[in-house]
Amino acid sequence: MAKTILAVDDSGSLRQMVAFSLQAAGYNVVQAVDGQDGLNKAKEKTVDLVLTDQNMPIMDGLTLIKSLRGLGSYQKVPILMLTTESSDEMKARGKAAGANGWLVKPFDPKRLIEVVQKVIG
Amino acid sequence: MTRQNDSPVPELGRLLSALCENGSQHLSRVESDLMQTMFLLNEAIEKIGQHFTAIHQAVSEQQAEFELLLAQMVLPAQLKDSEQISALRDLREVIGDEVNSAVVGLQFHDLTSQLISRTINRSNGLRDLLLTFKAHGDGISAAHEAEEMVRLLGEMGESLKHCSADPAGESCHSVQQRHLGCGEIELF
Repeated sequence: MAKTILAVDDSGSLRQMVAFSLQAAGYNVVQAVDGQDGLNKAKEKTVDLVLTDQNMPIMDGLTLIKSLRGLGSYQKVPILMLTTESSDEMKARGKAAGANGWLVKPFDPKRLIEVVQKVIG
Repeated sequence: MTRQNDSPVPELGRLLSALCENGSQHLSRVESDLMQTMFLLNEAIEKIGQHFTAIHQAVSEQQAEFELLLAQMVLPAQLKDSEQISALRDLREVIGDEVNSAVVGLQFHDLTSQLISRTINRSNGLRDLLLTFKAHGDGISAAHEAEEMVRLLGEMGESLKHCSADPAGESCHSVQQRHLGCGEIELF
């Protein structure tokens, strides 16, 4: 059974590219337009990996990660940040919040798939 | 002529008001143009993305059909190993690499739309400041007492301080990419 990835980003074109790349590799992709939408969808569905942006309206990526880690069912689900932010300070904040990895945009589809396969198989 | 009429302060106040009004009008037009640019970019990228994925799907299906056809056909041995067949198979890899590069390139929209949004926010903040200053300028035009002037100038200073703070949630350096090569990856 194909694994499900929750892609959270306020940019429609970025979500489209993430979904296109991951679906071609055989994954199901659920899309969310911001952190709050991501949190709602994570509660509704069983997700194997969360891929989230940082800078989004309503709820940002770090807040989403903290909220997900607060849910019993998401304590061990891998969460990767996919963001334009590349500072060490932001990475440290992401790690402290519970992120398992940090990917700086733009992403290369092949490398994204390699990372996802490494994290969830 | 009274002392009040000799004072340049009312004239300075009116000048400040006019300058602020003029500046805020220009900023409104800048914001409007940026919004329109963002709207067109969104439309264009959405359509390009849709067509791109449709083309990719069609090419993938075409390749799969070709492979199926090739498997079903009884070809002479020399044709099966021919350069043409090999070149057609190599094409799959070339297409894959090109698709990869296109996906990286199409992400420019995500980066630029963040920059445009931030510019609109900053322009909006500056316009609000100018409108606040305009109101203060109108007050200066009417102020006659030094104490009143000091109070108005103090309020202007506070408005400036408030406006100088970064808009909430905005990092100054969140989009630093200079080219569309793929970014670094770090697993914790």
